Amino acid sequence: MTTETLLQRATEILAPFSKGNNNPETNRLDVEIEASDLPSATAALMDNQWGYLSAITPTDLGKEVNKLELLYHFCEGAAITSLRIYLPREDQPDVPTISDQIPVASFFERELGEMLGVHVVGTPDSSRLFLPDDWPDGVYPLREEFSMEQAAPVEPRETLPEMGRVGNKFTVPIGPQHPALKEPGHFEFAVDGEIITGARMRLGYVHRGIEKATEKRNWIQNLYLLERICGICSHTHTSAYAMGAEKLAQVEVPPRALAIREIVAGLERIHSHLLWLGVAAHEAGFDTLFMYSWRDRETVMDLLETLTGNRVNYSITVLGGVKYDFTAEHSRAIHKAMNYLEERIRYYLHIVTTDASFLQRTRGIGTMTLEEAKYFGALGPTARASGLERDVRIDSPYGAYHRFPVSLITDERGDLEARFEVRMKELLVSCFTIRTIVDNLPPGELAVRFPRKVPAGETVSRVEAPRGEAFYYIKSGGGESPVRLKIRTPSLCNWTSALNKAVGHQLADVPMLIAGMDPCFSCNDRMITVRRKNDSHTLTWSQMREYGIKKYASIREPK
Amino acid sequence: MNTIVSLLSIMFFPVGISLILSGMLYEWADRKLVARFQNRIGPRWFQPLADTIKLLSKEEIKPHSVNNLLFYGLPIVALSGALTAALYTPILGFAPTYSFQGDLIVALYLLSLLTMCTGLAGWNGASRFSLIGATRSLTQLFAYEAPFLLALLGPAMAAGTWTIKDISVYAENHWMFIAQPVGFVVALIGLMGKLELPPFDAPEAETEIVAGALTEYSGRGLALFHIGKSVELVVAISLVTAFYLGGVGNPLIFLLKTLIILLFMAMLQSMLTRLRIDQTVGMWWRFGALLALLQILVIILLKGWLA
Repeated sequence: MTTETLLQRATEILAPFSKGNNNPETNRLDVEIEASDLPSATAALMDNQWGYLSAITPTDLGKEVNKLELLYHFCEGAAITSLRIYLPREDQPDVPTISDQIPVASFFERELGEMLGVHVVGTPDSSRLFLPDDWPDGVYPLREEFSMEQAAPVEPRETLPEMGRVGNKFTVPIGPQHPALKEPGHFEFAVDGEIITGARMRLGYVHRGIEKATEKRNWIQNLYLLERICGICSHTHTSAYAMGAEKLAQVEVPPRALAIREIVAGLERIHSHLLWLGVAAHEAGFDTLFMYSWRDRETVMDLLETLTGNRVNYSITVLGGVKYDFTAEHSRAIHKAMNYLEERIRYYLHIVTTDASFLQRTRGIGTMTLEEAKYFGALGPTARASGLERDVRIDSPYGAYHRFPVSLITDERGDLEARFEVRMKELLVSCFTIRTIVDNLPPGELAVRFPRKVPAGETVSRVEAPRGEAFYYIKSGGGESPVRLKIRTPSLCNWTSALNKAVGHQLADVPMLIAGMDPCFSCNDRMITVRRKNDSHTLTWSQMREYGIKKYASIREPK
Repeated sequence: MNTIVSLLSIMFFPVGISLILSGMLYEWADRKLVARFQNRIGPRWFQPLADTIKLLSKEEIKPHSVNNLLFYGLPIVALSGALTAALYTPILGFAPTYSFQGDLIVALYLLSLLTMCTGLAGWNGASRFSLIGATRSLTQLFAYEAPFLLALLGPAMAAGTWTIKDISVYAENHWMFIAQPVGFVVALIGLMGKLELPPFDAPEAETEIVAGALTEYSGRGLALFHIGKSVELVVAISLVTAFYLGGVGNPLIFLLKTLIILLFMAMLQSMLTRLRIDQTVGMWWRFGALLALLQILVIILLKGWLA
């Protein structure tokens, strides 16, 4: 179905609830509805199999308008339908829950409650997801009147009560500091002997307040701030942000720049999946594969350093294009690395599909059916390994993906083995695509001028990160900085499936199940700066700058 | 007077110290080999010694709710169990210090003492990780113990004696590894289970339960457990080598043989994925125990037929 027919269909489905429609962009439909109609409108979309809930954007429209705005974004192919709800700007306005229909909405609703102070009626879990335990009640960081003075720490409250020991059952805490986790998160698994009977989680240990911080920085500064959301998929975030900002500013990016962006995205996918392969193998207790894959990952890291000057935050994207050009010498280096990596990836694909002792830990473990994947709202390779054909690069080609398309890799089995296979095959596709682009790099400019002020408007940009769809909602008020920027990263949507699938499995499988969705904690946790009592390390911006300058001067001094 | 001399020799026990040091060298060889197989550089030769000295000099933290006697006593019992087992074993190719009829059984039980102490220590540890680790340690003990015992009984039955010394003398002229290949494989893999080496490291799977039963141990207690384990490595390898690879004979050749066993173990360690505890138990009882029993049956029948 084309995007037009999809939107037409959505208009028909939502007609009974609509208070007004408009099309902010060609692929988007905005339907204003009453808050009380939300569950029935969602049910109508779900019953007609129209799309999946991609994100909820909560915005405070400010004292003048005196309203709160909630946007429920549903995506299907390239089409996006947003349900727009206005709420009175009082304390704790009511909105009905939809997490009984869409489990993943539970996370978004917890975020609504703590960030904007919306009371979600009937949501199964209203405890804190991101905010620290010593955050005062009734202070909502996304409200206009919020200031850091209000957020003075209070006595911590117990957000995760101990499930306690009952007979043979007791709770095994994993995290925030635990050898299985490379990043901080907190999980509580109730176990009966070795069998999991319940699972809960808590995020927010690496919150940095990035969404809020974007409102205080100009369009260009934000690019570098957003790049630091995640150390693995930094390019994903700059791409998504740049795409959105360029759409708003109506800037046409030169084809060469788009192609270079796609090359870097491909390299990023390779380094991310190889990293994941190592971590997952380590969780299974197969350290040899871990060591091998990380050794080979250095090839792509070195290549990224050669191409962009950096290993982690490549910083190659600028608003309106890219910063560096690729020469013939770079192309040769890319070809050489791709040839080596392709051979190695084929070898790893062989290992993960044939090694009997490894298959004991992956085959038939954590099997998620297509229906479950849809119901839990899984994204990225996790969804594709269950046969769910969901890939933004194919559903809604952006950048150079029109010109250099990638092929879709899916698998019907849905177990851990399928996830290994899907990711390894995706890497082969990436190697192939990167070679094609390098050989057919379009000539021309690298970047065009980007205006300092961006015209008012709002846009949604979606990018396929290595872990799944990354969702950006950007709203400009016509000024030098965005009015609202909402980021939803893929890991947040995959948690529901991982936690639900853990129940009934053995404790020994849990690290593998968590690793199976390739979680990324730091991109989940973006929102809040935490300042604690008696913290002598709180620096002001200028102190920080001075410290940095001194530090780097001392590094560069000859010894 | 005689008692005092005996006491002094036990207290200073130069053989014990050399045993501990050789245990560390074996541990180093194992770590280095695994590292090279995994394309890493691996530790320097004195790393296990340095680790032990560091641990011994560190503060020992005792959790509130543990039983003091067990907490401080268990590491000592574990180490002394492994050291006592060494008295009956031809360590480094030298004849056993003591020997009596049936010392094979005593030595094997002394070797199990370490695992049981680990299990008790985990149960005493009052931490959920150590509790699960202890359960797994003991479950695994039940899995490999019987097959391992049966695999060592094979040579004993062939030699017609229960004395380690006599079995190794008999083995000098009869290469059991050729005569009883199944028993050798079971003994070799049982050895890895006993030492909780990968793929049998579920009791201390760091990605699930941190350090398993020993999670709450630090400093001296942890060091003693580690030393106990490396002593057990030497003792158990020596036992399997003496039984299956041509007895004691020349100490230098004996050392080489033990290193070959270590090389095989390192290869298996780097090739295999950690087994879940249910898979470990299943594997041992479905294959290990049956194969070892079959071996024993064949020996009994052959002996009857030959006689």
